[in-house]
Amino acid sequence: MNEQPSFIKSVVKKGVIGAVIGAVFFGAATALGFPPIFRYMFVAYATLGTVVFILLDAPALPTFGGIKAVVALLAFYLVLSVVYIGGASLWPQYDPEDEKGKIVKLLEAKRRASDQGKAEELLVRAKALSEKADLIMQRLQTLGGPTVSAPAAGGAKAGGAAPASGDIVALGKEQWELQECYNCHKLYGQGGKKRGPEMDNIGNLMKADEMKEKILDPRSWMAEGFEKEYEKKKMPDKYKELMEDKDVDALVAFLATLKNPAVNTPKPVKKK
Amino acid sequence: MRNHEVSRGRVRGWLDAWGLSVVGLALLTGFLAFPGAGWAEDAASASAAVSYRDIPQLGGSRNIIWVVAQLHLLLAGFVLGVPIFAWLCEIVGWKTGEKRYDKLAKEFTKLLTSSYATTALFGGILLFLLISFYPKLMTYLTDIFFPSFIAYCGLFLLETATLYLYWYGWDTMQEGRAKVFHLFLGFLLNFFAFFIMVIPNSWATFQASPVVIAEGSSVARAWAATWNPTWWPVNIHRLIANVVLGGYICGAYAGVRYLSAKSAEEREHYDWMGYVGNFIGVFGLLPLPFAGYWLMREIYQYNQQMGITLMGGFLSWLFILQAMLIGVLFLGSNYYFWLGITHRIPGAEAKYKKPIMAMLIILLLCLGVWMTPHSLVASLEEARKLGGTHHPLLGVFGVMSAKMTVANLMILVTFMSFIMYWRAGKEETAAWAKLARAVMSGVLGVAAIVVIVLGVWGYFVPAIVRINYFSVAQVLIVIFVMLTITPLTALLLRSARTTTEMVWGRMPPRAGYALVLNAVMVILLMTLMGYARSSSRVHWHIYGVMRDSSEYAYSPALGYAAAFMSLNTFLFCMLVAFIFWVATMGDKAKAGSGAMPAMAGGSPELDRSKAH
Repeated sequence: MNEQPSFIKSVVKKGVIGAVIGAVFFGAATALGFPPIFRYMFVAYATLGTVVFILLDAPALPTFGGIKAVVALLAFYLVLSVVYIGGASLWPQYDPEDEKGKIVKLLEAKRRASDQGKAEELLVRAKALSEKADLIMQRLQTLGGPTVSAPAAGGAKAGGAAPASGDIVALGKEQWELQECYNCHKLYGQGGKKRGPEMDNIGNLMKADEMKEKILDPRSWMAEGFEKEYEKKKMPDKYKELMEDKDVDALVAFLATLKNPAVNTPKPVKKK
Repeated sequence: MRNHEVSRGRVRGWLDAWGLSVVGLALLTGFLAFPGAGWAEDAASASAAVSYRDIPQLGGSRNIIWVVAQLHLLLAGFVLGVPIFAWLCEIVGWKTGEKRYDKLAKEFTKLLTSSYATTALFGGILLFLLISFYPKLMTYLTDIFFPSFIAYCGLFLLETATLYLYWYGWDTMQEGRAKVFHLFLGFLLNFFAFFIMVIPNSWATFQASPVVIAEGSSVARAWAATWNPTWWPVNIHRLIANVVLGGYICGAYAGVRYLSAKSAEEREHYDWMGYVGNFIGVFGLLPLPFAGYWLMREIYQYNQQMGITLMGGFLSWLFILQAMLIGVLFLGSNYYFWLGITHRIPGAEAKYKKPIMAMLIILLLCLGVWMTPHSLVASLEEARKLGGTHHPLLGVFGVMSAKMTVANLMILVTFMSFIMYWRAGKEETAAWAKLARAVMSGVLGVAAIVVIVLGVWGYFVPAIVRINYFSVAQVLIVIFVMLTITPLTALLLRSARTTTEMVWGRMPPRAGYALVLNAVMVILLMTLMGYARSSSRVHWHIYGVMRDSSEYAYSPALGYAAAFMSLNTFLFCMLVAFIFWVATMGDKAKAGSGAMPAMAGGSPELDRSKAH
């Protein structure tokens, strides 16, 4: 009979200690500049520890039988599921839309490279040219309209022609993201895991055709100080299959713009 | 006898009627729903060029495959884990002469007949769905693996024949050389089951880590594809995981029955059964992190990008979730041991309170380190404030060196929990007991220190040294501790005096919940790893070879995936509960109402023989 008051006392005591530890964790995490999710995670962690400590001394629950036991178990599973799904949903997580966007771009590139894609592109271009011809005819009929540039530009866009030369750098940056080069190479102080060299000054160290050679054949060049990584073939030899030639050109055009001498990008060494 | 036949006939009749009703209902539902379902194809005609088909109205092909494949895999883990569990119990029963182990083994083998059928049913559904939804992929895989499909069928025949012999020959092969032969049949059952597991593993691992297939005979091509870099790591990992699953499911069943037990006799048996299940689960759990580490290492060596996607990329927080599940599993298993010490061994609570507290604190600290992420998912502003994506303080714990260290420490603590439980209520009388205890304490203490030292040292050496030498050394040290302390304890206890008899059936109800919790954690872990394995291929059916160009090529977010994992876990538990219910129904009818089914080894004769 004495078990109940002593358990309540124990719950209060351990609960207070747990709350204090949780508060200390939260305060320390805030002071150290942790992102909010971490602060809550620390509190959750302190709560878990407190619950286990309380359960160690908990008195026996009343026993259930028959349908009550089944209901109790289902309720138990429901609690577990809510905690699990809730926890996983509150966790920082990536947005599937990012991957969807990547897939669309990759598939679009494939489609364009296929015979069907080429035929479709020709049809679009032919349609654009036809529209352009119509416009010229209209202008000829009116004898000297004010501008031709606006509809011409619109026609070019509708035709899906290659972007202006400045756009190729943007396309190259897109390839950098798409091929996830940042996983191994640091750029602008972001990404990279020491597997590959920092790329901020690569434009001053390699010519465009050399960079292209390196991307398509990772064994052709080695970064100084990355001998072990080179020996272990850390750079994947897959881009010649994964990327279209124009994608490689775009990536190279982007890399060629990276000319920041303040960053110590290692010197490339010709190996093949 | 006549009554048995009547009741069996009644049960069969009822089952037939019930089964027919269910089948009839399912057919009717299917017939009514058929016109409403939209059967989508990615091409205008149903030609051979179709890559994908879909039924969006039923949640989409991917979700359907997700549920069916996961259930099939969990059931397969169950039917491969149970024979191992049963065989181990049979060996223990044979060696110790305790009949209840033999009975437990037999009753679990009885489950195999119904669970095999259910697993095969889901396997068949999965195959038909895969052929229907992913014809192009299946044609490609069939072209490569055709010879192993045939071998797989052959193994099924052998496994089924062996199962029949093993199950139906149980009672007639009880004594002498016949029993040895029966144990050999148990070995064969597990031998064939192992290969039944490894063949489909080759198909799945080929999707994740395909190799270049040279021209040659179909057997040579299949063999080349089978022997891919992650095949053996997955084989070993799954084998151990199946033992864990089998053990914890046995524990969960015992836990459920314990919670609803009506008599002291029932409580006593289900308590004992829960102990056996938890013990075998923990026995498998201890080496599981090592196997997981090996698998991840092979993935990194095969393809850095895939490793990064898993551990440092968009799936990295999945491993924090995994750490929490494993942490709760370790806590749950230890908690059950501690409850056993304090409730089954009268008077032991005061003696072991402090060590239990110390172990709990170590486990919680280790869990804290294990669940620390390596990189933060922080906003750009937050990252700028921290000076990078790694927190200057927290990042120290997020790296593999720290995680390997705490994983090893948690394994050591769990092992010591078991040793403590084993020794509780006994007084060692051997003359060399003091020396043995000193040696055991020394081995444990030195091992813990060396594991920590190697972990800290790991920060200052190149990753390759840490991965190839330090982490391996940590694992070997922990294995050495187990291999030293276990036989030493066994020798000590051989001559020990029992001071307090272990009393079964006195565990509080929360022990039953702990057993259920452990099983749920293991199943959730398996579903989580299924999601990880599939997502690590990103938008590839076969990584780097065949791109997934369906509308479901992207990986779902973790919260969404967690809901599916929870659903799959629930459905699997229901299926297993159904299998147990069907398997014990006949026994209940035989024994009369209120009697305990034989599943718990609960035959009165056995109790009497145990008591004497």
